[in-house]
Amino acid sequence: MSNSYILKRVAYGLILMLCVVVLNFLLIRLAPGDPAVVIAGEMGGATEEMLEQIREEYGLNKPILTQLAIYIGNVATGDLGESFFFNKPVAELISQRIGPTILLVIVAQILSIFLGVFLGVLAARKPNGVMSAFVSVFATIGYAVPVFWTGIMLIILFASVLPIFPVEGMQSVRLRDAPWYVQTIDVAHHLVLPAFTLAVIYLAQYARLSRASMLEVLGSDYIRTARAKGASERTVLFHHALRNAALPILTVAGLQFGNLISGALLVETVFNWPGMGRLAFDSILRRDYPTIMGVLFFASAMVVVANLLTDLSYRLADPRLRGRT
Amino acid sequence: MSTPKPTPQKAPQMPADTTDAATDAAAQFVARYQAESPAREAWRMFRRNIPALVGTAMLLLIIGLTLYGTLIYTGDPFDIVWAPHEAPFVEPDFPLGTDYLGRDLMAGLLSGGGPTLAVGAAAAALTMIIGISMGALSGFYGGWVDNLLMRITEFFQVLPALLFAMVLVTLFSPSLITIAIAIGVVSWPQTARLTRAEFLKIKELEYVTAARAIGAGNGRIMWRVILPNALPPLIVSATLTIGVAILFEAGLSFLGLGDPNVMSWGLMIGANRDYILDAWWPVTFPGLAIFFTVFSVSLIGDGLNDAFNPKLRER
Amino acid sequence: MSALLQIENLQVTFNTRHGQVTALDSVSLSVNAGETLGVVGESGCGKSITALSVMGLIPMPPGRIAGGSIKLNGEELVGASDARLRGLRGSEVAMIFQEPMTSLNPVFSIGDQIAEAIMLHQNVSYDQAFKDAVALLDRVGIPSPDRRARDYPHQLSGGMRQRVMIAMAVSCRPKVLIADEPTTALDVTVQAQIFDLLNEIQRDFGAAIMLITHDMGAISEMADRVAVMYAGRVIEEASADQVLDTPQHPYARGLIDCIPALGKQETELREIPGVVPPLHMLGQGCAFKARCAHARPRCGTEKPLLRSHGAHPVACHGAEEGWL
Repeated sequence: MSNSYILKRVAYGLILMLCVVVLNFLLIRLAPGDPAVVIAGEMGGATEEMLEQIREEYGLNKPILTQLAIYIGNVATGDLGESFFFNKPVAELISQRIGPTILLVIVAQILSIFLGVFLGVLAARKPNGVMSAFVSVFATIGYAVPVFWTGIMLIILFASVLPIFPVEGMQSVRLRDAPWYVQTIDVAHHLVLPAFTLAVIYLAQYARLSRASMLEVLGSDYIRTARAKGASERTVLFHHALRNAALPILTVAGLQFGNLISGALLVETVFNWPGMGRLAFDSILRRDYPTIMGVLFFASAMVVVANLLTDLSYRLADPRLRGRT
Repeated sequence: MSTPKPTPQKAPQMPADTTDAATDAAAQFVARYQAESPAREAWRMFRRNIPALVGTAMLLLIIGLTLYGTLIYTGDPFDIVWAPHEAPFVEPDFPLGTDYLGRDLMAGLLSGGGPTLAVGAAAAALTMIIGISMGALSGFYGGWVDNLLMRITEFFQVLPALLFAMVLVTLFSPSLITIAIAIGVVSWPQTARLTRAEFLKIKELEYVTAARAIGAGNGRIMWRVILPNALPPLIVSATLTIGVAILFEAGLSFLGLGDPNVMSWGLMIGANRDYILDAWWPVTFPGLAIFFTVFSVSLIGDGLNDAFNPKLRER
Repeated sequence: MSALLQIENLQVTFNTRHGQVTALDSVSLSVNAGETLGVVGESGCGKSITALSVMGLIPMPPGRIAGGSIKLNGEELVGASDARLRGLRGSEVAMIFQEPMTSLNPVFSIGDQIAEAIMLHQNVSYDQAFKDAVALLDRVGIPSPDRRARDYPHQLSGGMRQRVMIAMAVSCRPKVLIADEPTTALDVTVQAQIFDLLNEIQRDFGAAIMLITHDMGAISEMADRVAVMYAGRVIEEASADQVLDTPQHPYARGLIDCIPALGKQETELREIPGVVPPLHMLGQGCAFKARCAHARPRCGTEKPLLRSHGAHPVACHGAEEGWL
């Protein structure tokens, strides 16, 4: 893979991020009312002094393009503004919350892809078998269940009936001073229900997709060639077929990432997971716009990075695309 | 980014295939003779699809209940009418019990469906309108128009949809209309991509050239010649979009970003979520209502998909 | 001494939506070491099914080997365990397919794919297998093989890919090499090169080749003996010269008449009228009766059997009774 291609993709990602910044700026201007009041937040009960300070910082008395330039400059230097509700810089708030979100989203993504593909491959071995029927019913149900409701049902189940997993938060208070490995296990323990809740919808979709993709690949000539070589059925399925069937799965995984973050928002709220989704929820209830805009910026940045990685891994996985620009 | 599509692979030649091919050709010939319109044929297929029929019946029942249920089962869902957390199936006046404030859950369920369904349908309509317009222009004109519109589409795909919708709703104060608009504004990119792909494919076909040869203008070709032929996948996608929009509306209401003056299923779950360990029913019934609605819509969508692409079904 | 590969009365059926059809009906064939057997016939006559049966690659279900035997070096393959068949596939019996464009896996380098075939049957390291693969690529005439071994299928032309397929097929020095229409998808000039290569490989490795084709030109170039198949049955079998010079069955004659002769000015290409009937519509009697200019009432009632009537074995009432 050529370096110039990577550079091109990175530059494109940066342009997309610039567009997100401009969008944030426009949204605040488009909102009804005085932008200074919007930024201060209606719940903040802003004093005239505070508003004046905001007008000064954001240059709200200057022409609109100058305001935009100031805003972009601020974001570029890592200044996402001040949260008047939390009384902290937004960048600091987000840096505390982004870790748990990334953990949740990535674990859910891995869980859904691996389990989904595994189910899909099993189903593809017998297109008219029980497993196939299960996968398609499961996929339709998975698509129709509201993710926050799955979470709530699991909380009811695991809080009262089967109390083996914690249903709230990310860490146990009593283990705050425990050694790091105990804390790691504790976090993993807390992660089980939120990650499973988030994964289950996408798991169903990946199962359906990989079943279809595998069926198409299994009918192809090179699979017959692999069998003619004397390869075992397992090698044929997981080595020859899956490598090819994985390509469309990879594309979808990249496209789904934005939806996954949306889902994480709801799941974090349900399970009190201390991530960006929880922060977004809290700040929206308080109309804390600088924080909301910061969350939107960072969530978009996560999607941009995920898309970039998907694109690059796609090129690694498919030799037909390598060397092209 | 263009995804490489593997060239269609030939199955190993065997007599079984050859005979099937021969009879298929004959069947196609006969079918052409009988000259059944594609829509009729799709309807015939759909009618034989039992899950799809179950889905249709379920959806009609749900729509009927939300439209007319409140006429029979009267009562304001916001009124506190009984003791809090009355269990379901105990008190005949409140068959589904009451919530944490003592509000009738049956009344909430019946009157909460309307807004959910209406917002879902309106948002899906808006999604389709924006998506089809963008995709059609992009696919038809190509060149810089395509480039520009596709970059815009990619930009919208970068924004996490629910978060963006939350921001929009908060900025412009929540009401059923702003919610529907917000959902529409964040969900159109997939429809745009699908429409673009269909337009790219269809605009190369002979009947489009023929239409151009008899002097049809661009607008006519786009909307009267290409669009009708691109409809089958778009109808399927529209159905699924309704499902997604309903889930979206439920999510927003659950977070407390719905219209606070209108009862909806999502709001019922959101309002009762702090008490789930005391009472399971106030969150369970509205959740089941959302599930069955979206489930019925997606059964219909799958059925339409099978009806429009009979070949895919044999997979 | 029995032949290296001996097929006796092979019966293969498929379950289709028209009920069970017989794809192969008492097919008997044999190939000796160093010999090339040509199997000819139009598409859908059972050539490829015969090949896949030998490989043990008939998809079951819907397919089923209903009877008969396939013996390789005296070992019965019908009913052998999956593991045993897998051990034989690629090492004792190897196959080259019709479509070199799609028969190679697009996501692995060609060196890897050949090395995999070697490692499946020989206890060698990957590095050794890859070295062997490079040597094989050199053997099948791929220029700068050590560089090419790292290429992916999409970087090669069709002829190159078929050479790779041949290299992969001969990588474990199989005793029997089945070539299913190996040149159909290739340019005429490349076809000749591939035939030359197959002939050379056979000289070097002493393999028996079963060449499946509908091209009588390929037969005259490659085959020692020929079996003509029609609608799942062998209808004529003899040395290549005999079949080419004195074909007995009207269908074999038709096939040979279809070869445009050099030098002769012919106004149009000849062809056999009609098509192979679908297998579920064969009915009684000779399967070729509807297309045969010499058909008599007996052809519609009684299935002709493969028998020798003076010259060489043929399944035709006309040849038997001498009214052709």
